[in-house]
Amino acid sequence: MEENNINQDEIKKEHEIDELTNDRFIANHEYDGIRELDNDLPGWWKWLFYISIIFAVVYIVRYHILKTGDLQEAEYSKEMAVAKEKMPAQSDESALARLEDETNLIAGKAIFDKNCVVCHLSKGEGLVGPNLTDEYWIHGGSFKNIYATIRDGVPVKGMISWKSQLKPEEIQQVSSYIMSLQGTNPPNAKAPQGEKYVP
Amino acid sequence: MEQEKFYYDNKIVKMFAYATIIWGLIAMLVGVLAATQIAFPWWNFNLAYTTFGRVRPLHTNAAIFAFVGNGIFTGVYYSLQRLLKARMFNDVLSKIHFWGWQLIIVAATVTLLAGITTSKEYAELEWPIDIAITIIWVVFGWNMFGTILKRRTSHIYVAIWFYIATFVTVAVLHIVNSFELPVSFFKSYSVYAGVQDALVQWWYGHNAVAFFLTTPYLGLMYYFIPKAANRPVYSYRLSIIHFWSLIFLYIWAGPHHLLYSSLPNWAQSLGTVFSIMLIAPSWGGMINGLLTLRGAWDKVRDSAVLKFMVVAVTAYGMSTFEGPMLSLKNINALSHFTDWTIAHVHVGTLGWNGFLTFGMLYWLIPKLFKTEIFSKKLANTHFWIGTLGILFYVIPMYWGGLTQSLMWKEFTPDGFLKYPNFLETVTQIVPMYHMRLLGGLLYFTGVLFMIYNLFKTTVKGTFTANEEAFAPALEKFNPKREKGEGFHRWLERKPVQFLILALIAILIGGAVEIIPTFLIKSNVPTIESVKPYTPLELIGRDIYIREGCYNCHSQMVRPFRSETERYGEYSKAGEFVYDHPFQWGSKRTGPDLAREGVVTGKNYKPDSWHYNHMFNPRKVSPQSIMPAYPWIIKNDMDIDNLRGKIRAMQKLGVPYEKGYEDIAYRDLMKQADKIANGLNDNGIQVNDNKEIIALIAYLQRLGTDISKTE
Repeated sequence: MEENNINQDEIKKEHEIDELTNDRFIANHEYDGIRELDNDLPGWWKWLFYISIIFAVVYIVRYHILKTGDLQEAEYSKEMAVAKEKMPAQSDESALARLEDETNLIAGKAIFDKNCVVCHLSKGEGLVGPNLTDEYWIHGGSFKNIYATIRDGVPVKGMISWKSQLKPEEIQQVSSYIMSLQGTNPPNAKAPQGEKYVP
Repeated sequence: MEQEKFYYDNKIVKMFAYATIIWGLIAMLVGVLAATQIAFPWWNFNLAYTTFGRVRPLHTNAAIFAFVGNGIFTGVYYSLQRLLKARMFNDVLSKIHFWGWQLIIVAATVTLLAGITTSKEYAELEWPIDIAITIIWVVFGWNMFGTILKRRTSHIYVAIWFYIATFVTVAVLHIVNSFELPVSFFKSYSVYAGVQDALVQWWYGHNAVAFFLTTPYLGLMYYFIPKAANRPVYSYRLSIIHFWSLIFLYIWAGPHHLLYSSLPNWAQSLGTVFSIMLIAPSWGGMINGLLTLRGAWDKVRDSAVLKFMVVAVTAYGMSTFEGPMLSLKNINALSHFTDWTIAHVHVGTLGWNGFLTFGMLYWLIPKLFKTEIFSKKLANTHFWIGTLGILFYVIPMYWGGLTQSLMWKEFTPDGFLKYPNFLETVTQIVPMYHMRLLGGLLYFTGVLFMIYNLFKTTVKGTFTANEEAFAPALEKFNPKREKGEGFHRWLERKPVQFLILALIAILIGGAVEIIPTFLIKSNVPTIESVKPYTPLELIGRDIYIREGCYNCHSQMVRPFRSETERYGEYSKAGEFVYDHPFQWGSKRTGPDLAREGVVTGKNYKPDSWHYNHMFNPRKVSPQSIMPAYPWIIKNDMDIDNLRGKIRAMQKLGVPYEKGYEDIAYRDLMKQADKIANGLNDNGIQVNDNKEIIALIAYLQRLGTDISKTE
């Protein structure tokens, strides 16, 4: 084997130098033709190691011995407190009423498409949730009724509360949009549920 | 000195090399399928055996244990014989090792696709296969150690240190993580539950990366780079320091997979700091690999072998820097559960493991066949197309992961989540999944080039099964340290002592983290309202496990406002005490399910929604990329083992009252009837003995125990 033709006596010599790098070989270290150089650990590498160890010690001391750093539960409480402080004041919901202008209905449709179609399908014809296009309502068909159903939900029946996802104005828009679906008679609509609502 | 004549066993090396290539091809093909399924859900084929939840574990297991595993054995069987100037200890053991390992892989393929799984990542194989793995691993160790003991060289080279550490650590990891109580031949429950199961699993999972994908490949690097470049190793001293620091520190880092989870804070912090301390030891390996090429960089330009190896070592350096960074809690808060992790892993596997394997094979096959490579040009083409493949894979995954994470965390000025619908954040990054698929295909194409090239090489060469070699017999030497002999130099000629010291080094970290978590009660505070699963929920949970839901859905709400707003109250350690095994997951391709059943929760869905959704997710969410599960609707529940399952849980300490196994069926039917009747009322015709009923029961139970006290 050509790469193994290193003269055995030469290896034994101390302080033999590698021609290409001028580094010193370690005597008697030869494995299947592989030799080893006597280089020291690079200085930057040692510092990298020392610094990482110091980091580790400081980290453990700070969080678990001095306990001056926040652990995850404390971090969470602070995050929630800050968020609560920043929350804008809620507007007066009792003043909200049905909207019938195009801009608001388009906005309502966008909210509906994004959040409601999963259960009520894209035309409001109903699937898991009831048909929203007929005159029958399980929780009442007035604006106030629909608004309250969306805001608080009917959890046991699978209608979640949307107050943590939609602003009052947005609930107003989507409620108005739902009311605008009355009598659209989409194909494959779900059978009526609840009571007939007479305004 | 009289030369002894002996023969290297090249045939076993060739067999392992072929197995590496064949399984590599399969593992990557399955990876391409999995990537296609994420991009285009109809590629799940509406068939149980081909859904992502079963395909993905097959991909990971095949890539790790079949491709890289056989790659390790190829390199070890070739280099060990030459470094020790001895034939393998026993040809029969070599054959048992080879065929046993291949049979295990075949069994893994069949069982994983059949839905037989423990659901513990990279340890999904069920208990009979776990036992087979243990036996074959011992055969490998026995064969390797036998060879070491009958060697003709006085000292063992650094590559072999890594082989020894690999053998002993993988044995410990596999055995400890696989403690499970069998219920039947194909079903068992982990003896650990919840937080403890998670800790043991990620101690294993992390160190599978460390001691299966890293240390053996460092060993291969230390042999094949100096051989291919014909250059000396840069620094013997660095080898010693980085070897011992690496194996000692690596074992502690497992908890970095569980940051911000319900794992006790002290264990999480150990995971973080030990990961940071790993940067230098890992880079020690990279430096020793790259600086070995000093004086030979001109060769790298011409040699595809060296090009592959240089990129492999560079990829190793990059991912071992990124890993510790991802272990910092503030970065992990961003990266975890996203495709960022997938990108990180693939820098390591495609870059480090894949490219080192390819470099090794391009060097090794011509050597075994006493010829030159068929086409240097084609090998270079493979190198470039493979590199391009890696870039096209990882860049979109980094981009997609970060994008999705930021979307999850974004709030509107009104204090609402900007993207409350999880699906929006998925749809946003689907184009990235398409790009990733392209990257995977490029990488795969490169492998096809390699196979053709290596095949043509074998055709033009001649193979010698037993290669003649000469070396003097090993002289009897003084077992004590000689004057002027350093401690480590002495250790290098005492392999048994070496093995024992390595074992001690790797036991310390695991023991310090795992034992207190089991023994000290405050680590998992009890929650009174947490009760065992009902029999129906237990059956449903087994379906959840069978379908590999954990591959895409976590059950761990982290203590962030963005998560409690989206999912509900953050998860507590005491909630998981009856979870054998835990189902926290590691990736959110779909939303977290930890609070799925909470009626007043953010994501509650009625039973009928779940029914429709499982039958066809796109019926309720048109853009969903989740597979459809029509067979769960159709199949009858498997309750044959109900009694055995309850008894197994009792043995594991789940407090079902004595004799409950006899009345469990009655309770099961009662609950099933109620769910079926509810569905019937909603116009869904379904019998109470279908799998979907049990699965719904389980999903509606999730996260509800603690809300009862609120």
